[in-house]
Amino acid sequence: MKGNNQAKPKMPEAIKPATKTEKPVEKQEVKVIDTTRQAVPYNTGNIPGPKMARAVMPAVPGKMLAKAKRPLLIVGSEIDDEEVLARVVALGRAGIQIASVGDSHKYLADKELDAHYVNLHALASYLCDPQWPGLDGKGGYDLVVFFGITYYYASQAISALKNFSNIKVVSIDKYYHPNADMSFGNLKQDVFIQALDEVIAQLPK
Amino acid sequence: MSVKKGSFVIEGLENVQINIGKVGAEDEQIAEGPTPRPEIISLRNWDYRILDRYNPVYTPTSDMCDLCTYGKCDLTGNKEGACGIDLEGQSARQALMTSIMGAACHSAHGRHLLNYLIRKYGEDFKIDVGPSNLQAPLTETIMGIQPRTIGDFRPVLDYVEQQLTQLMATTNTGQEGASRDFESKALHAGMLDLLGMEVADIIQISCLGFPKSDEKAPMAEIGMGILDPKKPVVICVGHNIAAPAYILDFMDKNAQFDKIVIAGLCCTAHDMTRYNKSAKIIGSMSKELKYIRSGIPDVLVTDEQCVRADVLKEAQKLHIPVIATNEKITYGLPDRSNDNVDDIIEDLVSGKQPGVVLLDFEKIGELVPKLAMKIGPIRKAKGFTALPDDEEFRKLVAKCTKCLQCTRDCPESLPISDAMAAAVNGDLTLFEILHDKCVGCGRCDYSCPSDIPVLNVIEKASQRVIREEKGKMRIGRGQIGDPEIREEGRNLVLGTTPGVLAFVGCGNYPDGTKDVYDIVEEMIQRSYIIISSGCAAMDIGMYKDKEGKTLYERYPGRFVKGNLLNTGSCVSNAHIAATTIKVASIFAGRKTKGNWEEIADYVMNRVGAVGIAWGAYSQKAFAIGTGCNRLGIPVVVGPHGTKYRRAFIGKPYIKENWNVLDGRDGSVVNIEPAPEHLMITAETKDEVMPLLAKLCFRPSDNSLGRAIKLTHYIELSEKYLKKMPDDWHVYVRNEADLPVAKKEQLMKLLEKKGWKIDWEKKKITEGPLRKVDVSFQPTNVPRLCKEVKK
Repeated sequence: MKGNNQAKPKMPEAIKPATKTEKPVEKQEVKVIDTTRQAVPYNTGNIPGPKMARAVMPAVPGKMLAKAKRPLLIVGSEIDDEEVLARVVALGRAGIQIASVGDSHKYLADKELDAHYVNLHALASYLCDPQWPGLDGKGGYDLVVFFGITYYYASQAISALKNFSNIKVVSIDKYYHPNADMSFGNLKQDVFIQALDEVIAQLPK
Repeated sequence: MSVKKGSFVIEGLENVQINIGKVGAEDEQIAEGPTPRPEIISLRNWDYRILDRYNPVYTPTSDMCDLCTYGKCDLTGNKEGACGIDLEGQSARQALMTSIMGAACHSAHGRHLLNYLIRKYGEDFKIDVGPSNLQAPLTETIMGIQPRTIGDFRPVLDYVEQQLTQLMATTNTGQEGASRDFESKALHAGMLDLLGMEVADIIQISCLGFPKSDEKAPMAEIGMGILDPKKPVVICVGHNIAAPAYILDFMDKNAQFDKIVIAGLCCTAHDMTRYNKSAKIIGSMSKELKYIRSGIPDVLVTDEQCVRADVLKEAQKLHIPVIATNEKITYGLPDRSNDNVDDIIEDLVSGKQPGVVLLDFEKIGELVPKLAMKIGPIRKAKGFTALPDDEEFRKLVAKCTKCLQCTRDCPESLPISDAMAAAVNGDLTLFEILHDKCVGCGRCDYSCPSDIPVLNVIEKASQRVIREEKGKMRIGRGQIGDPEIREEGRNLVLGTTPGVLAFVGCGNYPDGTKDVYDIVEEMIQRSYIIISSGCAAMDIGMYKDKEGKTLYERYPGRFVKGNLLNTGSCVSNAHIAATTIKVASIFAGRKTKGNWEEIADYVMNRVGAVGIAWGAYSQKAFAIGTGCNRLGIPVVVGPHGTKYRRAFIGKPYIKENWNVLDGRDGSVVNIEPAPEHLMITAETKDEVMPLLAKLCFRPSDNSLGRAIKLTHYIELSEKYLKKMPDDWHVYVRNEADLPVAKKEQLMKLLEKKGWKIDWEKKKITEGPLRKVDVSFQPTNVPRLCKEVKK
């Protein structure tokens, strides 16, 4: 899928919880997911120290995003998957500003979102600086949420935020990110998509 | 000038003894700048200027410090440890230690070569690097001397070693505590690294007949598929040419090149081809484990640097004898330097010893070809290889349970289990793709709970593509000659050549080796000058276009726009950095000797050169990058570079960070962020290309040059990120800076941003940060201003 910037999300109703089957509605089973399992660093050796992310269920980052005054969603080069991209779009359409790092902007360019290209390493530096006016000149952020970034790259960038800033950082990626304040555990793709939908479901319509 | 060494006493002055060591012509030895042989804080003010604009950004891999017995200390959240150091200080200390390690490696390589070459050729052997008056630009700029003979480099390495010891001392618990000063010292270590590399490469170019600034250096074969495995195969691994040179000489003398195949892995390969064109290149360090496990090598010769720690262990399994030729890597093997060659061969062929340490070059030269001739046929008859046969392969791929542990341990998170599943159905294409992306570390072997030797499986499945892996690389040319600088310097400083991009470093690529080829191809077609070295130079030559030609065959090797140069091995990186000094000296007439700050200030403000180490893994690569930073050259690293834990990132939104002085009158001028960063990473190749174009902007660009650079920045961003850059307008000073083809369209966009446009005259009347001034002399150093405005 990488490099396929023609991919069009086929899930305009992405805010709805995902279901895996097309069974009749009365028999539809809503799969209960647990995103706190497998909360060990995705890359085995990526153990930073005594403070590691608290594993959370999707409702937690969902509610934090809903309550945040100025949240920022950071997405990277791994949003090329059709289903993942649809959730980025849904989050953007819910009014969350997007920092499109890496080459992810090519997937978002035609989506009419409040999305801004920025280099992740530079962004990590700026987020640690209280003087930074933000991506749109309207000030800094009180919550950073991210997914879809090369695992180790994201992990390193947020280690700067963990140690040198006061910003809350929440991973809603399919990997457990120890350097975040909160994170999902390591998830299979279908659970990951469902978790994103549950995050989105918490946002004001 | 001829002076003999010695000492004498003067009659009547019995207590006075005069010693004569080395005397050079006076005009060559007088420093022209204020800092010949800078001590560890001599250039601190310059470093602070860098650090004030390009703030260190720390991304720790560990929140702990365990360097002393007070610890382990938890420094999370920038807490202080037991000794008082906080995480920022600890991160900066690690940056310093990393730079020292890298600088020590290159300088020790230089020292080993210097001692050997002085023993062999004498200290008065003349330096000859090609058509250059400025033969040793880094040595002149740092030391304030102009070396003429290889012996002149003795005090240079004495200085480097002394400085590195001073620097290392500051990392002990209870020494330096300020992150800012750790960084200044790291920059010092980086500079020393450049110096050590220059010494190493100049002396080997001069003494060993390497190409001397040769833009038409011949091609060498490269790739895992180039060797004839039926012949005895000798593989030299590492960075130091001293021992392989003797092997090549022996083979030459005995006409053995048609009987034995000899090739190199990593930078030794570069220097082998520079020494003797019959040598071949397998590839970078990423190929070491893969090639050893193929079983093709019959003898492995190791020297130093970038040699895997498990070479002996892996070789032993396949009965490949290892000859360790350098004191730095001895693998616990017996030192047989004083033994008879035939006795050693007998012990190795019989398997009595898996390898030996052999430090006598004459013996190495004789032993290795003889050993290859003797053990080669035996090994071939037995068919040693670590790769499974077809039946074993089928069983192994079927064992995969898709637990994904291999992917989690893989540095590149490769989807190995998908390839296993496809292979079960007879489809090997996913494995063939993995072969290019795999960095050959072997971590997957240890992680597999089903005991699948994953790397061997990948390589077995990729035999078809491996057989076709045959590329060409132009042999390392050495320095850029003065005539080339005279021809191109003006274009670089004015910006009409959009930039010099130096592709350097190792093979820890985030998404495969071909990325480097793709980036180079895009940028060279846009007339950037591409200079390469080390493993990056090899990897550029691994791929062909539809006509079957590599980039080296498609593009010439002169230092002019749209050319592709290979300077040589890792230590040849020095010439890339030195090219910017040559531009300052030859094109702009800046004095070099002992004048680092002025030269670096010139480079930062006027020479659009950027380094890119897309697959950097080593401490050496970090030291090179840090040295380039002190010289004012920005460096971009691949995403793995965040694990170096420190970057130098500019903040374009802090206006006062971008003030410079106008050298004509000392007035303060607020400039566009150029260059915006000094060390930064990017996530993908699509992101890095517009970033490279952006980092080539310099305040000195004239309008034509700025328009060319802006064209590439905008086009690359539109092509790869599907957007106009948000900050393109920041680089517009007047309408002449706009790309001609898009002028009107861009002016309309500027008008929307609130700029005032006189449409009748097609002129910008209000909006830019500053005006174009062709005589502008940007500088960050007050003392360089002719007069200082009060």
